[in-house]
Amino acid sequence: MVKDYVKKPKVMAKDVNLYYGDFHALKGITLSMEENTVVALIGPSGCGKSTFLRCFNRMNDLIPSTRITGYVMVDGKDINDRSMNVDELRKNIGMVFQKPNPFPKSIFENVAYGLRVNGVKEAKFIEERVERSLKQSALWEEVKDKLKKSAFELSGGQQQRLCIARALAIEPSVLLMDEPASALDPISTAKIEELIYELKNQYTIIIVTHNMQQAGRVSDKTAFFYMGELIECDDTKTMFTNPKHTRTQNYITGRFG
Amino acid sequence: MTTTHSHLDEELQLLKTDTLNMWKLVRQQVEKGKEALIQHDKDLARQVVAVERRVNAYELKIDRDCENIFALFTPVAIDLRFVLAALKINSNLERIGDIAEGIARFVIDIDKQFDPELLKVARIVEMFDMSNAMLLDAAQAYEQEDTRLARTLFKKDEKLDEVNNEASYVITDYIKSHPDNIRESLHILSMIRKLERVGDQTKNIAEEIIFYIEAKVLKHKEPNK
Amino acid sequence: MMDSGKIHRRKQASQNFVFTLFTLMSASIVLVLFVILGFIVIRGLPAISWDFLTKMPEDGMTKGGIYPAIIGTFCLMLGSMIFAFPIGIMSGIYVHEYTKDGILKRFMKAMTNNLAGIPSIVFGLFGMSLFVNDLHFGDSILAGSLTLGLLVLPVVIRTTEESLKAIDNSFRVGSYALGATKLQTIRKVVLPMSLPNIITGLILSIGRISGETAPILFTVAAYFLPKLPHSIFDQVMALPYHLYVISTSGTNIVESRKMAYGTALVLVLIVLILNLLANVLRRYFGKKVKMN
Repeated sequence: MVKDYVKKPKVMAKDVNLYYGDFHALKGITLSMEENTVVALIGPSGCGKSTFLRCFNRMNDLIPSTRITGYVMVDGKDINDRSMNVDELRKNIGMVFQKPNPFPKSIFENVAYGLRVNGVKEAKFIEERVERSLKQSALWEEVKDKLKKSAFELSGGQQQRLCIARALAIEPSVLLMDEPASALDPISTAKIEELIYELKNQYTIIIVTHNMQQAGRVSDKTAFFYMGELIECDDTKTMFTNPKHTRTQNYITGRFG
Repeated sequence: MTTTHSHLDEELQLLKTDTLNMWKLVRQQVEKGKEALIQHDKDLARQVVAVERRVNAYELKIDRDCENIFALFTPVAIDLRFVLAALKINSNLERIGDIAEGIARFVIDIDKQFDPELLKVARIVEMFDMSNAMLLDAAQAYEQEDTRLARTLFKKDEKLDEVNNEASYVITDYIKSHPDNIRESLHILSMIRKLERVGDQTKNIAEEIIFYIEAKVLKHKEPNK
Repeated sequence: MMDSGKIHRRKQASQNFVFTLFTLMSASIVLVLFVILGFIVIRGLPAISWDFLTKMPEDGMTKGGIYPAIIGTFCLMLGSMIFAFPIGIMSGIYVHEYTKDGILKRFMKAMTNNLAGIPSIVFGLFGMSLFVNDLHFGDSILAGSLTLGLLVLPVVIRTTEESLKAIDNSFRVGSYALGATKLQTIRKVVLPMSLPNIITGLILSIGRISGETAPILFTVAAYFLPKLPHSIFDQVMALPYHLYVISTSGTNIVESRKMAYGTALVLVLIVLILNLLANVLRRYFGKKVKMN
């Protein structure tokens, strides 16, 4: 079949409009992302990039009076369809937030949380998965001797990697990151960035960032948002060396916003 | 604090590998130019001309890689100097590639075997060997970040200059005694001039190597004698 | 040109004045507290003895102890806790976690506030007419506990709400993002985090009702009943009412004055111990549930 030769996009948004009450926050966004790539969403504050990110795990549902039109597809399925179970969806789409938000539990229980709420009971399985996730997020060596300690005893950077481990534990296929390093010091930031680069091999990652250099370092594709519109999306190399739109150029060169 | 092996390190390593590959190709071009001259092998000379396109392609690729590294990683300190040096080494190597091509075209232009006596008095084979040895040393200095080796190149360049300076007298004498070989004699003189340029380019490369490793600018200073 | 030294001195002077004022005000509050406590301790301490705490009152409440009143007060505290806490906590959770910002939430909040604003004597009257008469509970621990429970309900709801509000939304969102349902999120993340605050607030609220007199006046409190209750339908004596009785309408007010101060001291001590307990528990849970 011809269809099989075309690489299907892992995640796709088609003509997505989103309203907060009367406010038109996203205006006809169409964008697709292939598997195992990192896509960076950039743009000035309030441009809709975070809102767009939250479309993929329906986090906007939590905000009252939001309305969305168009299609958001993950693995070819419309995630806003009635038949879609939102808890199942969020299991498949991991998310890491701007501020590290570990639960007030032990390091171990933080990572195990996602498994437990999704009905996993087998202790050995949970143990293995916790270890693997902590290794994946490059935290294992630092915490393996204090898994029972409170997650709040970790540094900010470690907490954020713990949150990444927590997201990875339930084996999502897509990872959403909302400015994951903006609250961290440069060394922790560098570690998170390296981590993203490593994780790309197994996950499709969408990252919102205010840091232009970060977008350059970690992403394969970059999408520039402005006032709720997708102005330009291209290979990061192209975006950073030769953007097509003046707006994009002005933004990435720091001439406005 | 442990230093991590970063994504940028990978890109820089890739850039270094590409540069060294281009270097090897350029040395082969010079070497083949010499062989073509000695054997009067026009096919080999034509091969050099053809391969020059690959050298140019390398130059474009390395240029683009540097541009991307600047744009995506905003390197600083030694990383910044490394990319800046790579950019300049790249254009110097490309010039040397051009020179090899030019030499090959001279070979193609002459229909009979070059007079061995001419080659001998002009010391052109010697020049080929010297410039190629310089290129090799420079590559090694670059690969192993060996600034001591890089500094030896300034001395070697002087020897090339010496041969070059004598060349016009030698060629004049030769032409006087072999008035039939004026054209090939002039070609040899041009080649010598070109090979002298190879020495200069290599010297520039050595300066870039020292710049990126030691952050010292040696350009436009008289080297210590 | 202005003399910057002069300006600086003037600024400094006004600073000092205001700070001194604030310090004095705070100090006066502490002073008042110590005066009240000291007054009660000095007058009450001579009355306190093991017998005072464990004996029945005798001789028209001029002698003997206040044992049944202490037990009665504890019964009422326990009873109102059993009634008010589950209902209060659950409605607090409902209002804060489940209702969306809108008319319903505003209505619930207004109702809670209004409930809190009703004078306690009105609760007493209401309790008497509903629990004692209409429901035929009679003057009983049950009727008294229900009335006190009603009184403390708005405090419980508010305490729960405020404790939940203090939990940063990022924890909830983080839990949802892992595929947790709302109930799981509340049970496993939100409640454990807010528990220290809720518990502290509740203990303080119990301290408050232990001293309420008006609501128990018509619903449970016995004037003189030198025996312990056997069921929730029995009447009991209670510390605040006992205090009221022996200070205003006892058989020999002058004779029982000493007893009154002793009773007051016991009541104050109970409240203080509860406050202390609240602090200890808060610290204990605080350590267990590490907030940033």
